[in-house]
Amino acid sequence: MFNPWTLARPVLFAAFLAGGTQAAEKIDFNRQILPILSDACFHCHGPDPETREARLRLDQRDGLFRTREGVTVVAPGQPDASELILRITSPHEDEVMPPRKVARQLKPAEIDLLKRWVAGGAPWGAHWAFSPPQRPAVPVPADPQLAARVSNPVDAFIFARLEREKLAPAAEAPPETLLRRVTLELTGLPPTPAELDAFAADRSPDAYERVVDRLLASPRYGERWAWDWLDLARFADTNGFQGDPERTMWPWRDWVVNALNANMPFDRFTIEQLAGDLLPGATTEQKLASGFHRNNMFNGEGGRIPEETRVENVFDRVETTATVWLGLTFTCARCHDHKYDPIAQQDYYALFDIFNQLSETGRNQGGGQVPPVMDLSTPAEQERVKRANAKLDALARRVDAFELKKFPRPEGRPVADSPDAIKLPGNLYATHAKVEPRRRNINGLLEALPHFQATDPDPEYAKLLEEHIAAVRERDNATARITRVMIMDELKERRETFVLTRGSYEHKTDQKVVGAIPALFRGAAEAGGARARPAHGKIAGPSGADSPPAAAPGEPRLNRLDLARWLVSPGNPLAARVTVNRAWQAFFGTGFVKTAEDFGVQSEPPSHPELLDWLATEFVARGWDLKALHRLIVTSATYRQSSRVTPELLERDPDNRLLARGPRHRMPSWMLRDQALAAAGLLHEQRGGPAVKPYQPAGIWEEATFGKKTYQQDHGDALYRRSLYVFWRRIVGPTTFFDAGARQVCTVKVARTNTPLHALVTLNDPAYVEAARVLAQGALATATDDSGRVDQVFRLVTARRPSAAERDILLRRLATLRGQFAADPKAALQLASTGEAPRPGSLDPVEHAAWTALCSLLLNLDETLSRE
Amino acid sequence: MRDLDGLKRELEHTRLTAVTRRHFLRHCGTGLGALWLATTAGAVDRLGFARAPAEPLAPLPPQFPAKAKRVIYLHMAGAPSQLELFDYKPVLARLDGQDCPPSFLEGKRFAFISGVPKMLGPQFPFHPSGQAGAWISDRLPHFERHIDDVCFVRSMRTDEFNHAPAQLMLHTGSPRFGHPSLGSWVTYGLGTENQNLPGYIVLVSGGKTPDGGKSLWGSGFLPSVYQGVQCRAQGDPVLFLSNPADVSRPERRRVLDAIGDINREQHARHGDPETLTRIAQYELAFRMQVSASEAMDLSRETAAVHARYGTQPGAESFANNCLLARRLAERGVRFIQLYHWGWDSHGASESEALTTGFPKRCLEVDQPIGALLSDLKERGLLEETLVIWGGEFGRTPMRENRNGQEMKFVGRDHHPGAFTVWLAGGGVKPGFSYGATDEMGYNIVENPVEVRDLQATIIRLLGFDHHKLSLPFQGLDQKITGVKPTRIVREIIA
Repeated sequence: MFNPWTLARPVLFAAFLAGGTQAAEKIDFNRQILPILSDACFHCHGPDPETREARLRLDQRDGLFRTREGVTVVAPGQPDASELILRITSPHEDEVMPPRKVARQLKPAEIDLLKRWVAGGAPWGAHWAFSPPQRPAVPVPADPQLAARVSNPVDAFIFARLEREKLAPAAEAPPETLLRRVTLELTGLPPTPAELDAFAADRSPDAYERVVDRLLASPRYGERWAWDWLDLARFADTNGFQGDPERTMWPWRDWVVNALNANMPFDRFTIEQLAGDLLPGATTEQKLASGFHRNNMFNGEGGRIPEETRVENVFDRVETTATVWLGLTFTCARCHDHKYDPIAQQDYYALFDIFNQLSETGRNQGGGQVPPVMDLSTPAEQERVKRANAKLDALARRVDAFELKKFPRPEGRPVADSPDAIKLPGNLYATHAKVEPRRRNINGLLEALPHFQATDPDPEYAKLLEEHIAAVRERDNATARITRVMIMDELKERRETFVLTRGSYEHKTDQKVVGAIPALFRGAAEAGGARARPAHGKIAGPSGADSPPAAAPGEPRLNRLDLARWLVSPGNPLAARVTVNRAWQAFFGTGFVKTAEDFGVQSEPPSHPELLDWLATEFVARGWDLKALHRLIVTSATYRQSSRVTPELLERDPDNRLLARGPRHRMPSWMLRDQALAAAGLLHEQRGGPAVKPYQPAGIWEEATFGKKTYQQDHGDALYRRSLYVFWRRIVGPTTFFDAGARQVCTVKVARTNTPLHALVTLNDPAYVEAARVLAQGALATATDDSGRVDQVFRLVTARRPSAAERDILLRRLATLRGQFAADPKAALQLASTGEAPRPGSLDPVEHAAWTALCSLLLNLDETLSRE
Repeated sequence: MRDLDGLKRELEHTRLTAVTRRHFLRHCGTGLGALWLATTAGAVDRLGFARAPAEPLAPLPPQFPAKAKRVIYLHMAGAPSQLELFDYKPVLARLDGQDCPPSFLEGKRFAFISGVPKMLGPQFPFHPSGQAGAWISDRLPHFERHIDDVCFVRSMRTDEFNHAPAQLMLHTGSPRFGHPSLGSWVTYGLGTENQNLPGYIVLVSGGKTPDGGKSLWGSGFLPSVYQGVQCRAQGDPVLFLSNPADVSRPERRRVLDAIGDINREQHARHGDPETLTRIAQYELAFRMQVSASEAMDLSRETAAVHARYGTQPGAESFANNCLLARRLAERGVRFIQLYHWGWDSHGASESEALTTGFPKRCLEVDQPIGALLSDLKERGLLEETLVIWGGEFGRTPMRENRNGQEMKFVGRDHHPGAFTVWLAGGGVKPGFSYGATDEMGYNIVENPVEVRDLQATIIRLLGFDHHKLSLPFQGLDQKITGVKPTRIVREIIA
């Protein structure tokens, strides 16, 4: 009926997750026991006192090994004397744990494991992720052949594990596959044929390493890696919610790209984004960086209570910080102590206090641009605004003087008070007469002008209105050039923070809390190094001395800068681990810890715990150098393996957690679009600046905003900018992307699904059809015959030449397509004219259309869509 | 095309294996299955089955036998007044125009009411109707013919009093963004019966997306295959459904054949099962182009049907969407979500006044809802289709007085404390009413039903324990009903 392998697989999987062979009875508390206790027991015997039963805590050593009234919970070496074992094996309804009515029951295998753990002496340890990473010794594979393939310590760990699993790594991927993989990975764009040729011709032993260095130095690197950061920073060009007003945060996005390109150390990258504004003598750039925590959504819905919005925003900042730098879910602790992780509600509000000092009020006065904002204009731009305003003022005074005669009324009264004003038609009474000249807007003036030119002519007044229009236009143009961006600031008078009952802004308890790192890490800070230990409110960060006093002397109240510095200090056991894990996830599809957003007690144990810690310590030792980390990973033999897979290996390790083969994944949709544009030669590589609006089906914005927002598609080069620069309206998102983060809340996990709807996008979205027809133009313009053209396009999208069989399929298909389009030249021309890129009139529409269809086909090959 | 059968066989095998696994795991809670559960959370979910990666929407059996196979959810965005439709309050009528008692205002917050508002009696006459004599106003005569088919819950309450969070609460269980919607959970649990159509379809009327935006049908932390697909009246019903520029079906077929051929070469060489999945999804896309266009094409219905629903092909009306809902239900779509708009009867303008805009909204939905219920019943679909009607909260028994002043039009403010929903078909008790509010319609006095209780009940009607329809994320078994105590309203289940 079913394949026995499908059942055997999980057993092997269990064995390898457990991190060792089954023969040796060495039970790892952290990886094998703690997850069971957490899942089945902590709800009632864990960190949350509200739900704690029998005053028993199993999440702490004291509680687990406690003896009270002659009853010992766990007696090491004596399962029969351990109440825990007696309870979980009890046949009596009223004794057995977990109680029968509870959904989570222990499985026999789990009970057995717990028994063996106690029998084996019940070794105990805190959850691994809460202790600082210890640098493990780099293993050496026993097999000398395998050892010879080790390119750097990454391989040593991976290969040693494969050896234990009796698996062998795959051969190195073919050069063109490798070049495509690493080029897409590091820059988000495919290699050019010239780059492929150069790499194929380069026989030097360090050819690959030099390619990697070239890619890391490319400005495209920052554009590629910014995407992942924007997803977790919930970056968008609008506020979200009703009306979805626009905001200007692209200067912050450009800051991220530049920082990544400059390889800003990740600790500095962290500190500047969390607290750049608080650095002593903060530069404009550093203040701009602090916009990280202004990227959250902002609810300006009518009837909304501002304080509620403000508090929601602080929640978002706390929780995003916890996800990004701690890999922990703090959300539960908004309302109560965490059920599984040792995070108290008090800890939550201690972080809340740190983010509670922003001058934001929750009121939305500036449209999308909610204060505090920073003016980023140049002196010349500011000068232009000043001049335009002065000119407008002078003109308004002349208009005023003239109108005193034209619309007689007592001085100091508006035109509206003049009996002559009542006669004004249409909106003019409201937009003209009731508004003083200085404040009239362009639309009202444009309506007034024809009235006084033609309907009720007054040439002198009309001339004045023309001048007025010009002055208002100039003022509008000048102010439009002023860029203001949302940043963080700190209230002079600090807000007091109280624990909120069930996270409700209205229900403050009388429990006052001040900024502090979570208690869980205070021990770790002490263990991890005295430097990170908070003393009198001061935390020495990695750079030490420039830390300003956090609060009044004697009051240990931390601020954002203290927190930021602590996050990247040795006192935080998690920042380096979660960062390294996200990088691993980006390259291999899954992180060591599968749940990139959760390293807590409930998370699955890491697949390669030693390597995770080795990389984390290496990352820090190299000065939080992201490019060095990426280089280490992509130059490993592990990464360079072929992604070819045998049925046996697929059964054994379907998700490729062991890495006996290279990674192979469908690329993110934004990268697919960039690849298509690049292959077609359409890509317009302009870096930074305001977002662009490429093709989008009609009506999408209108439907989402009750007709208030109309999508004004761009033209020309803007259509071909990288996906990073596509305008992101938060409530609908760009239609051309799929499986993309919603940019509403912090997202660190990659989505990779496979549905017919995705196929419809890459087959039918005009962006892809246009890329296909421009690819066709290129092929028709350069190569001489059909075979040559097929080879050329095939190579542009897959980096390799087609096999004879593949070429044959494509040429036969080309022939039938030619026949079809020849029968319908009108349709042919229509297809060959998709999009706004120029089309040479000399091209035969039938030939062009047949090639367009063929290029579209090539853009939709599994190999094209995958990073192989 | 030629290898499609082989591919289908392969997929069928995977699917069967998945179902077998599920069966195995369900019935053997110990041994290997249990070990699997313990080690591969994610690949196998808490319901105890592995999903075939090639067919994430393949139909799956529910946990328990269930009558409801699909859902048609009619959401009236803006929140219709229960006091003008289903919750008859003669005492309130008597107190019309009097000052609101202070006890109603203490410790309460409102979106717009300030100071001391006046009480506002029902704006339309009520009468008892149907065998059970349920009270209903005169605004919904077509619907009223089905009053013995539906089950009213008059004691709904929610925690949120603004549109977007309240809509999110209702559809995703959380007022914040990032959580999967009910339709996503349901398609995640049950897959869908027709692989040529999306399993979860959203239809908005008048081209007006509700305040909560498309997060209302988002998949949150569930895979994005489970997110709702908005079908539009304008342009392609599904984004990018049409071939570009007159590319014909045969041309597209040939292109897909070649893609399939080369992908098979690739699979033979490389061995990644994802490549087979890709082939399958391209085939599905090709079939969906026909199926979705056909399903969404109302011109295929007879004049009599159009007359019954009041539909006009090409319009973006609620009537059209009701007829589409029936067509989609017939074709095995699992979750069909409709949004109507304009029910936010504050009285700030004519279009949102209880006396002007509100009756118009009633006219827009009454005949189509009546037709939908009749049509489903006649086709034998009502039994297995759960139809739900309601808004995101209710409205105050006080007249809205924005800035403490009497307004030009008559309206009511948002009221999370009490509202009415009705359910029909799919295993709910017909001709039954549940719960009650006080004589002003302000507070619930009998059988309160939280939003999460309603969700748990809907999920139960579809054959799941809401605790089990869950996914581990952020260290928690996430479920739509959240962490607060939740009860299934068994009293309304037939």
